[in-house]
Amino acid sequence: MQELDTVGQGSVRVTRKSDKLVILEKDLATEQMVLAMGPQHPSTHGVLKLECLTDGEVITEAIPCLGYLHRCFEKCCENVDYPAIVPYTDRLDYLSGMNSEFAYALAVEKLLDLEIPRRVEFIRVIVSELNRIASHLVAIGTYGIDLGAFTPFLFCFRDREIILGLLEWASGARMLYNYIWIGGLAYDVPTDFLKRVREFVAYFRPKAVELQNLLTENEIFVKRTHGIGIMPADVAINYGWSGPMLRGSGVKWDLRRNDPYSVYPEIDFKVAVPDGKHSVIGDCLSRHLVRAVEMEESLKIIEQCIDKIPSPEGFNSRSAIPKRIRPKAGEVYSRAENPRGELGFYLESDGKSTKPVRCKARSSCFVNLSAMKDLSKGQLIPDLVAIIGSIDIVLGEVDR
Amino acid sequence: MGNSLNAWSEALIGFNLLGLPLGLIVIAVIPLLFIALYSLTYGVYGERKISAFMQDRLGPMEVGKWGILQTIADILKLIQKEDILPTSADRFLFVIGPGILFVGSFLAYAVLPFSPAFIGASLNVGLYYAIGIVALEVVGILAAGWGSNNKWSLYGAVRSVAQIVSYEIPAAIALLCGAMMAGTLDMQQINVLQSGEYGFAHFYLFQSPIAWLPFLIYFIASLAEVNRAPFDIPEAESELVAGYFTEYSGMKFAVIFLAEYGSMFMVSAIISVVFLGGWNSPLPNLGSFALNTWTNGPVWGAFWMISKGFFFIFVQMWLRWTLPRLRVDQLMYLCWKVLTPFAFISFVLTAIWEIYVP
Amino acid sequence: MSEYFGNIKTGAVTIATGMGITLKHFFNAVHRKGDAGLDDVDYFRQVDGLCTLQYPHETIPTPANARYRLNNDIDDCIGCGQCVRACPIGCITMETVKVAPDDLGACGKTRDGQQKKFWIPVFDIDVAKCMTCGICTTVCPTECLAHTPVADFSEFDRSNFIYHFGNLTRLEAEAKRRKLADIQAKAKAEKEKKEEEN
Repeated sequence: MQELDTVGQGSVRVTRKSDKLVILEKDLATEQMVLAMGPQHPSTHGVLKLECLTDGEVITEAIPCLGYLHRCFEKCCENVDYPAIVPYTDRLDYLSGMNSEFAYALAVEKLLDLEIPRRVEFIRVIVSELNRIASHLVAIGTYGIDLGAFTPFLFCFRDREIILGLLEWASGARMLYNYIWIGGLAYDVPTDFLKRVREFVAYFRPKAVELQNLLTENEIFVKRTHGIGIMPADVAINYGWSGPMLRGSGVKWDLRRNDPYSVYPEIDFKVAVPDGKHSVIGDCLSRHLVRAVEMEESLKIIEQCIDKIPSPEGFNSRSAIPKRIRPKAGEVYSRAENPRGELGFYLESDGKSTKPVRCKARSSCFVNLSAMKDLSKGQLIPDLVAIIGSIDIVLGEVDR
Repeated sequence: MGNSLNAWSEALIGFNLLGLPLGLIVIAVIPLLFIALYSLTYGVYGERKISAFMQDRLGPMEVGKWGILQTIADILKLIQKEDILPTSADRFLFVIGPGILFVGSFLAYAVLPFSPAFIGASLNVGLYYAIGIVALEVVGILAAGWGSNNKWSLYGAVRSVAQIVSYEIPAAIALLCGAMMAGTLDMQQINVLQSGEYGFAHFYLFQSPIAWLPFLIYFIASLAEVNRAPFDIPEAESELVAGYFTEYSGMKFAVIFLAEYGSMFMVSAIISVVFLGGWNSPLPNLGSFALNTWTNGPVWGAFWMISKGFFFIFVQMWLRWTLPRLRVDQLMYLCWKVLTPFAFISFVLTAIWEIYVP
Repeated sequence: MSEYFGNIKTGAVTIATGMGITLKHFFNAVHRKGDAGLDDVDYFRQVDGLCTLQYPHETIPTPANARYRLNNDIDDCIGCGQCVRACPIGCITMETVKVAPDDLGACGKTRDGQQKKFWIPVFDIDVAKCMTCGICTTVCPTECLAHTPVADFSEFDRSNFIYHFGNLTRLEAEAKRRKLADIQAKAKAEKEKKEEEN
């Protein structure tokens, strides 16, 4: 008697009787089902569609279908002046507008060779780290929802609300700031702002511990994420992953440290990588833990920045802003560490126009999402939800 | 109307106006009204408020003082909604599904002793009947899920059937421990056996050192049986959109919800009958303060019964708004590898306790 | 086996911790956090409690520099058209008519004493299109165009989102245009006459 696999679908047990195959037992042939997950699905974080080929609850293949939120960002940029692109970059990754603006401003400043006042640099770092915390709070909170825990989500949003309030106070808008301008800032921060940020840091620390007790350490949460969607470091690098996703796979790669910009070299912080004790390196839990640790590190960065920031006397946040931005002919690629990974801007100038000839955004979410096919193979539907949640996509940045 | 057992319900049964068994109808209507009222107030409004307070929110506030009329506004909305029948749905199953679901949860109310003087049907196999009739819900869920002709609904229905059928085993064994301690399956008798002047000390939960184990097992298993978090995988909204009732809207949706709240109270009532004395007052007689005697009686009984049920519903809600959801295979692991063995162990230990300890 | 019991134990302990946290919040629901803005000194001294507000009845104050509804103070507007050119999405439409020399007094001056040289019959802002980036306000030389902290300006009709700020009615504008044309024609005629004389 022998087992012959894959005669049609399902296995068949056969035996040989005088050179004839006699079928003893036949598995029920199951059909694979195409399951369209999204674009209107509660846990695809926006308008992502996953075409899943499922066998029962097991997913044999999941292909992301993109483009439901495509807004021609790159084409728009070719038609507006350099400073007017800044509000568009807010709309790339709308959960971390400050970081996107920062990345774009860095690119144009590199193209122009601008010298930036030190206070501006510190304020930029403070607001973008605040925004990083806000962004990670959404990531962690929605991840809780994906796994069925609703309460941590609202706790996260309660604290994110304070950050948005702080940023509104500084910039005038809650999510789409247009605060970090090329060569400077729209305004200096309000008088009490830094004091209030310090109070926020003190306020947020115990809340982060509470969040950890409620969600991260919960046994059900750990069981749902531990060992799910493991991405080995080499594959992650080949896919071009970056940010918390890559660090979750155990690669110590943080652009704030490895390709430092602004005042990050002066600041002492730890690049969060999973230790492998609490989680399997590269699984969903590692990525979640990396985000949780990064929030803590961002708090430290903010505190150090507030300590080191030069006084506002005689400071004009717009002093270094060029009157008319018309860079020399040339091209530049500049990148920055966003909450979701490396956001890079490639700009090309022809030297004549005040508009870029080409503006390409290298979006981290898009690259991170491209590994979906590999990650989802052989997972259950609940695990697929956990994996999408851990990738922490923002469809605004994926589709641009 | 005296204080003797089942006095009210027996009086009602005898009430035959013009030869019509009107009393029987009234007996059936009382639990129905109770389900409707409790779902309206505590079930929907209470859950929304409780979840809101746990999440630092205000919850519904607009309709009426503190939003107290919110549920009525919702029901008005649901009544006005178009009764949508998807074209590709199996009409018969789609319509009958919510009905079976509701009837399944409602039928168990027949044997719930609401008060020493009131019980729908004082069966001598009441507990057995209550365990068995819950299985009818499975049929309703399967009919709803299959009849919707929606892939998500089907996933939800199949998950739900697997879950409810599995969890009935530890639930039933855990209840058998209670039945073993009582020596009867009659729900009213189980209550009577737990009454005494020391109040809570007579409850089966405190009568044996191992009773907490079947109590806990039944509570966990009952969560799974009524599809509450963390075992709400049949309707897991982040995975299966809404599970088996994805396609339902309007009053059919409301009926499914009513059935869910009905089952929630049912399992809470069963656990309080078997382990916490049902309608018995938990207060002990303290010397001349005969608290227990004062707080027992038909009306007090109804009060204790309902408040014990509500307490367990509160715990169910509390768990739901705290915990993430288990995965399908973890759910089965919990059932077959944790709850069932422990249920058997507690069964054997209870048997030994009952035989060898007087 | 020890792993099996360990799992049960950690499960029970962490679930109990989580339930403790939610219960703490449940009992803390008697407090309300209040509606202080972040520019309030005591913001972080508010009690922990229910943190949502009854929106239309209670609102979080928006800071003074908040950028929401775009507003133009037309009395200060000199009609330079910089905002129209700067707006990345083109939500501002503007038409100007040059002020005739004898009307300069009627047209008036801006608040800082600059003579206005244009009538502005049309200054329309489509606030539904406006993305509140604030670029127009930074180029505005007289600072008459500004975002206000008014965040809630929903309308039932989309056409109500087009805010009209022009300082002339259509008839007035037509009259001014004709007057200007007359003056220009007269000036041209005079110029031609002069040239002829030369």
